Amino acid sequence: MRRLGLLLLALVLAAPAWAQRVEQPLPAPGIGAAPDSSLPPSVPNTPGMPELIVDLSSPRLSITSAFQGESLLLFGMFDPPGEIVVVVQGPPARETVLRKERFMGLWLNTGRQRFDDVPAYYFIAASAPLQRLLARGAGGEILSLEDRLSTIRPVRPRSPARLAEFRQGLVEVKRREDLYPANFGQVTVQAGRLFRAELPFPSRLPEGVYDVRTYLLRDGKIVTAVSRPLPVGKVGFNAELAGWAVVDGPLYGVGAIILALVLGWLGGAVMRRL
Amino acid sequence: MEIYLPIAEQSMNVFVLFALGGAAGLLAGMFGVGGGFLATPLLIFVGIPPAVAVASQANQVIANSVSSLQVQWRRGNVDLRMGLVLLLGGMIGSSAGVTLFTWLKAIGQIDFVIAVMYVVLLSSIGLLMLFESISTLYKRRRNPTGPRGKLHTHYLVHRLPWKMRFYKSKLYISAFLPITLGFLIGILSAILGVGGGFVLVPAMIYLLGMPTTVVIGTSNFQILFVAANVTFLQAATNGTVDIVLALLLILGGVVGAPIGSRIAARLPGVVLRALMAVLVLGVATELLFELLRTPPSAYSLGPREVLP
Repeated sequence: MRRLGLLLLALVLAAPAWAQRVEQPLPAPGIGAAPDSSLPPSVPNTPGMPELIVDLSSPRLSITSAFQGESLLLFGMFDPPGEIVVVVQGPPARETVLRKERFMGLWLNTGRQRFDDVPAYYFIAASAPLQRLLARGAGGEILSLEDRLSTIRPVRPRSPARLAEFRQGLVEVKRREDLYPANFGQVTVQAGRLFRAELPFPSRLPEGVYDVRTYLLRDGKIVTAVSRPLPVGKVGFNAELAGWAVVDGPLYGVGAIILALVLGWLGGAVMRRL
Repeated sequence: MEIYLPIAEQSMNVFVLFALGGAAGLLAGMFGVGGGFLATPLLIFVGIPPAVAVASQANQVIANSVSSLQVQWRRGNVDLRMGLVLLLGGMIGSSAGVTLFTWLKAIGQIDFVIAVMYVVLLSSIGLLMLFESISTLYKRRRNPTGPRGKLHTHYLVHRLPWKMRFYKSKLYISAFLPITLGFLIGILSAILGVGGGFVLVPAMIYLLGMPTTVVIGTSNFQILFVAANVTFLQAATNGTVDIVLALLLILGGVVGAPIGSRIAARLPGVVLRALMAVLVLGVATELLFELLRTPPSAYSLGPREVLP
């Protein structure tokens, strides 16, 4: 019992250290970070003042014990004229799409297709109807969800029609969990140069470093873009437990057994007295 | 009040989980079975991934059986020799079961196998209990005292080799029998996250012919260690034991169990068994309905793999 107590104490003490570990490997693009070098800026930046400044209401999304999904506020300023588009993308991973089919009267997973490079989360917000903005030529860089998903790679090749079905299934499941929100977000522009947008994140949010990319468009062309990494991760007790379960599963198992033994024993003894 | 479950990776209402644990505890108190057979399907209904539900429920079974074993041990109702032989089979069975579980999870069929196993198991047990309690009620009406039967009947299984003497159970039977029984219960325990008491107890009475006084204590002994083995292996290989979830279930169970035993003390045994039969059949029907009905969405996602 004392050992378990010490273990728990150690976990609590180690929590802040873990939180710091997350921060380090990430670049810290402060306010008004330089545009991503991979993007060809069609208009050169004026020296001194950047054309686009972006910040988030929180530098990271912390999954605490009370986490039920969260909305972050993205806000910033740009040199008018122009339109703002925000694309938030979760970390890419391999996803397995399962399809239930009727087999001898029972529904079971018979179809299965794996895809690589599937974004965990995908959300777009824009200050004007996106179709109009994209139609004017920015489509190469800013991808709608459909366009983005056309780039995911099937692990096993199949006929295009079958793949399209599974891709549709993937969207269906992600929509259900609000990971691919069905509606575009609204970027609100005030005083011609201030803008803000609400980024909704659901409760079943995969962990990892999300990419929040803000584009400034002028005449349908990307003028500049600011990319901000948004780390999403469990913190404190949750992080410790989940980390423990991954790093040292056997010890975690022993801990779980001891906890159950102690609680069962004490509970039985106490409730019998009452 | 919502709480985020770190391994299930979703938030869930604390009171729902507490109530689920309480219901399982209530059953444990009323019928002397673990209640896992009800809690696991319910956890899956409320949206916990089946793999996490099963593994965390196994963790809860430990707490449940240790508090029950406490009493049984003190009363001398544990046939240690029988328990150890059962356990030998149970350990092999549960280890094989976790391996099977891992494989089924990898090919995406674990949900289906869990549902089918529950339907088959619960409907057969439920029907057996229902018939048994109805016929008892009927007989009692005709012959209130009832004839005194034989201690147990002898048939083919008593002619197997490798016989062992179990003094406390007043049995001289082949060790194969309890080992096989333990093995099967172990597999069940690993895949369904149940202790298996609701199968083990009738099997010990009707198949092995053990006296009812030592059955509960001995089955609790075997269940405790098998559940611990399942918890350990699930944590080590699949990482699906959610301690926060298990904790809430355990706390609910601690409160529910004494209430259940108080209810049980006021109701005649036959009525209890009939009630439990109806409950078991209800769960089985619901699970069967889920398998037969056209799902709202044909698609689901398997585990996400973040490639390095």
